[in-house]
Amino acid sequence: MSALAHYLEAEGVPAVAISLIRIHAEKVGPPRALWVPFELGRPLGAPRDAAFQTRVIVAALRLLEAPQGPVLLEDFPEDDPTGVDRPNWRPPFDLSPGALDGSDRAATERALLEEAAAIRPLHERFVAANRRTTVGLSALGVEECVTLVAASMAASGVPPSSRDYPAGPVQTLRWAVDDLKAYYLEAMSADGAIPSSRQMQNWFWDKTLLAQAIIALRRQLLASDDKRSQAIGRMNLVPGAQVQRLGLQ
Amino acid sequence: MVRMTDLPPATQTGMANLECPSFETKPFVSGPPLAKRRIAVVTSAGLVRRGERPFVSGEADYRVLPGDLPADQILMSHASVNFDRTGFLRDPNVVFPRDRLKELQDAGTIGSVAATHYSFMGATDPRMMEANVRAVAGRLKAEQVDGVLLTPV
Repeated sequence: MSALAHYLEAEGVPAVAISLIRIHAEKVGPPRALWVPFELGRPLGAPRDAAFQTRVIVAALRLLEAPQGPVLLEDFPEDDPTGVDRPNWRPPFDLSPGALDGSDRAATERALLEEAAAIRPLHERFVAANRRTTVGLSALGVEECVTLVAASMAASGVPPSSRDYPAGPVQTLRWAVDDLKAYYLEAMSADGAIPSSRQMQNWFWDKTLLAQAIIALRRQLLASDDKRSQAIGRMNLVPGAQVQRLGLQ
Repeated sequence: MVRMTDLPPATQTGMANLECPSFETKPFVSGPPLAKRRIAVVTSAGLVRRGERPFVSGEADYRVLPGDLPADQILMSHASVNFDRTGFLRDPNVVFPRDRLKELQDAGTIGSVAATHYSFMGATDPRMMEANVRAVAGRLKAEQVDGVLLTPV
């Protein structure tokens, strides 16, 4: 972000960057930056807290009025109040999955479809309440995403060649995985008190068949001879924090 | 609240060692008070319109986000999985704060909100994006924007 601010400013467009990684802003030295002590992924801090978000934006935009510079790096003084764990949080559904047997494609697909169906009512409630979903990168339906995951698992992580993939088969598989993650996390967000993102992630990776399937796909792609598949397996399926927490190789 | 020390050690090391561009010049453009400025968002969150081609790793191109795009039409296609998306899925303003900017416009804190905003994908080396960022600057100037809020993920 800081480098983009530099390029915009060099073209005569005043810009202020919100910085989540202070040392990067310090290295680049943008014309103006506001460092915020929030989680990666939340430059405005607290979701659904308009007053908090407004304080962040105004603090950033006020840097545009500084008469001289460059390089104003200020620190936002507040923490995100939603960024802490909720000790008494319980997920809105309990899947209690057994172990996924990836060797039987039909059984794998059936188990994953049943799990997706079990949370559908909650997902529908999320969509009705928010009038939006972030599912849609793969342009496949949820069931099609599940089918693609199961079919790929049955073929050493390689998506079936029976269909077209304008962006490439493994890239489409990655987007299908993104869509399924979003579907689950939106369903988890449908009701009640929202936990920290860490609680949501830990629950997802510990308690769902889908997570088992994604971890299996990661292992298969890492063993692939194809560099693109290896890269997606290494970087784009399981978050680094979960790779470490779960002790994945 | 998450600071560097809250990140996994491998992520911390990666962040600390990430090669960042350094610049010999330090451009700094002054302008009118905030209450007279036209503000646009440029994000590196990899936002795309539903149905548009998502970003892929290494891509240096950008996408155009009309300010009146329905919230259901905004998707996130960042290459990285190492940041939180649960905030964005519950509230797009946590990354793309157009509702907040509209409120600031109505309150007179800023002059106006631009009709168009722009999205890059921040996992790409920013030096690869330079030409496209400069092209976006041209569009912003044509749209009379004189204040940009840059939001990362």
